[in-house]
Amino acid sequence: MIQDLIDLLRIIVFPGFLFFAVLGLFFEWIDRKFYAKLQNRVGPLYAGPWGLFQPFADFVKLMAKEDIVPEGADRPLFSSIPVFALALSLFAVLFLPVCGAQGVLSFEGDLIVVTVILTFFVILVFLAGFSSASRYPGVGAERSVLQLLGYEIPLVASVLGAAAVTIQTEGSLQIKSIVETQSSWWSILGIQALGFAIFLLAAQAELERVPFDIPEAETEIVAGWLTEYSGKKLALIRLAKDIELAFLCGLGATLFLGGPQPILPGFVGALSSTIIFVIKSIIVLLILTIIRAAMSRLRIDQMVNFAWKYLVPISILQLLLAVMVPRLIVI
Amino acid sequence: MSVVDIPIGPQHPAIKEPLNITCYVDGEHVVGAKLRIGYNHRGIEKAGEYQTYIQNLYIAERICGICGIVHAFCLTQATEDIIGKEIPKRADYIRTIGLELNRIHSHLLWLGVAAHEIGFDTLFMYVWRDREMVMDVIEDFTGNRVTYALMTIGGVRRDIPQEKAERILKVMDLLDEKVRKYKKMCLDERTIRMRCDGVGILRKEDAIALCAVGPTARASGVPFDVRADDPHAAYDEIPFRVVTYDTCDVTARLLVRIDETLESISIVREAIKRMPSGPVRIRVPRVVPTGEGVGRTEAPRGEVIHYVRANGTERPFRWKVRAPTLANLLSIPVMLTSRGDYVVNIADVPITFASIDPCLSCTDRAIRFIDVSSGKSWVWTFSQIKRMYWRD
Amino acid sequence: MPIFGDVLKTAFQKRATLLYPFEKRDVPSDYRGKVEIDYNRCVGCGLCVKDCPAAALELVTLPSGNKKPRYYLARCTFCSQCVESCPRKAIKMTQFYELASYNRRIEVVEPCGISY
Repeated sequence: MIQDLIDLLRIIVFPGFLFFAVLGLFFEWIDRKFYAKLQNRVGPLYAGPWGLFQPFADFVKLMAKEDIVPEGADRPLFSSIPVFALALSLFAVLFLPVCGAQGVLSFEGDLIVVTVILTFFVILVFLAGFSSASRYPGVGAERSVLQLLGYEIPLVASVLGAAAVTIQTEGSLQIKSIVETQSSWWSILGIQALGFAIFLLAAQAELERVPFDIPEAETEIVAGWLTEYSGKKLALIRLAKDIELAFLCGLGATLFLGGPQPILPGFVGALSSTIIFVIKSIIVLLILTIIRAAMSRLRIDQMVNFAWKYLVPISILQLLLAVMVPRLIVI
Repeated sequence: MSVVDIPIGPQHPAIKEPLNITCYVDGEHVVGAKLRIGYNHRGIEKAGEYQTYIQNLYIAERICGICGIVHAFCLTQATEDIIGKEIPKRADYIRTIGLELNRIHSHLLWLGVAAHEIGFDTLFMYVWRDREMVMDVIEDFTGNRVTYALMTIGGVRRDIPQEKAERILKVMDLLDEKVRKYKKMCLDERTIRMRCDGVGILRKEDAIALCAVGPTARASGVPFDVRADDPHAAYDEIPFRVVTYDTCDVTARLLVRIDETLESISIVREAIKRMPSGPVRIRVPRVVPTGEGVGRTEAPRGEVIHYVRANGTERPFRWKVRAPTLANLLSIPVMLTSRGDYVVNIADVPITFASIDPCLSCTDRAIRFIDVSSGKSWVWTFSQIKRMYWRD
Repeated sequence: MPIFGDVLKTAFQKRATLLYPFEKRDVPSDYRGKVEIDYNRCVGCGLCVKDCPAAALELVTLPSGNKKPRYYLARCTFCSQCVESCPRKAIKMTQFYELASYNRRIEVVEPCGISY
């Protein structure tokens, strides 16, 4: 009974849904504030100290706004996409090892589930654009699937590269064992630096941020697949995207920066594992924001071209190296 | 896949002013485009017929929020053409400085907008931050940031005293450095080049046939610049280079504008150096004698023409404005149509359209009536309108 | 990527934005702000009213029989043509630019010299 209650709390409050909803909004604030800083602007300022509550205020405001469904839209599908998106992103975060080496959900092969979830987001995006029955969302949906063809292989390859050591030593594809193998040596400090770079680019594409914000390119197709969403639905989608941002930053931190492992190897500090995890995620987020600030949007054909000409070969090379090098060292 | 039409505008984030481009799209490729303007007709020319010449100066300035000095200058030029009096030399130089400061601010504004169109918001913010310097100089010199009220018939209203001239020169030095940095940035930044090279091609013969003007024409290798071809104000005494590029694409238009900004900076410096002393205006009568006058100058976007017909009263009988965007709009459908190896993507539409630096509030003056249900369209002549609506 | 260095450098710079109502920048000494009419100098010739492009000035007859301009702030475009037209130099532009108000009547300056 007590154990059930604790499990429920773990799922709903910490480190589950509520924690990640707050973390997602906080990450959006960091992203906006740092982006503004890089552009010599102020960024969010008035809601709360330094505008800290701005994303939350936006969320509340959108919840109160009028909710419009376009006349020709596929109503059930159109209305359920935001809920599915939020559910999917909340499901994904349960796998992250926020406190301790394993997440709320942890089983053999959960890394594969995580990569599948990443692909599901794109399917939702496609369905959202498709069910809007409008031209801009249609183009946006088409682009998002095309973009998936470009970045999915590098993303999976970089994730697998991070898991290469555990696969070989333990035959395990579990996030928990990946975290544990990094207790003395983070995987970014080595061959995985290349994998980390590929992961960052692919994450940027997955999150639809510059230079890969092609599916929702504002100046081209208004808001892409999001164009017809308004009110509560838009609020839920935005929250889902914020949580997805936190999730991908966390995944990067877990796979490459050692997740909740202490900052200095072997250093058992006063910092609890949660704080270490969040700090590492923020480092990933700041790198993503710098990428966003320093580039312009690519065209969809250029993106796919770039992905297949450079990103895919490099990621496969990276995977090969990740498999070969530890074996060489062992030999 | 069949051809789908995607409407861009009249309300669209890429287009800051109302205009409709209907793109016919096959997959991601644009196979044709149709333009519709006329959402922003303000009846300025008609308003000008009811106001005196002096009042019209301030209306002319509001034709365009960006090149206000240019329109006011053109109207004074046309009016002075009718009156037929020489204006003092110093006024000519101050006008030149005003026109060039206007050009610098307009080109920097355009660079920011273009960066935003290709999703490069950081460059957009940086350019607009540095544009504030020239805005501050203009405010210092004319008394306001946007509506300058600098020109008057018979000269200019404000002199540039020594200390202001020094302030202008100081800012010009700062800007020179910044603009050179942006030029380097635009040339070296991979993602910008990827988005601009070979996009929005307007071949030289098309540019000539479609009467493109300004930077759009010069980027297609047509060395047409009213400042050099028909020198007015002090342009005949200040040496400058007509910037042309011949790659005919968006990159060429980008570089033409950046180089012109540098050129403008050197013109301002030169004008301040050579400025003669003396009065800045002459008194002219309020009543303009009967006659016709034309004023033309090179606005940041191309050639502006003002035509004024006077009938011996305080008010013009007819005032006609031809803004440069009207001339450049015709080349948009050509740039946006894929043909042969030249492919236009949907993603290229905003930057291609922005590359002519459209200013629609300047442009919308002619009205064509269209019956939406039958598709019939017609134009009413002046006498027809008079017969139908005027009662006297 | 040449902008990369700039982006990183900007992270350590002070922001360019002014927090307007709290931080104000100086306007030039000859800025064209709110119009001020010196009714003692004004002789009521009406030249300013004639030249005003925005009809912001209106000639009213005072009980004493004198004519003076009434100034509508909300219509004014701050071109300072009236300053130039005035033969008695009774009109001048001030540096005052924060002119928004909830009360439309505040924005009318009456010739008796009080604005209410």
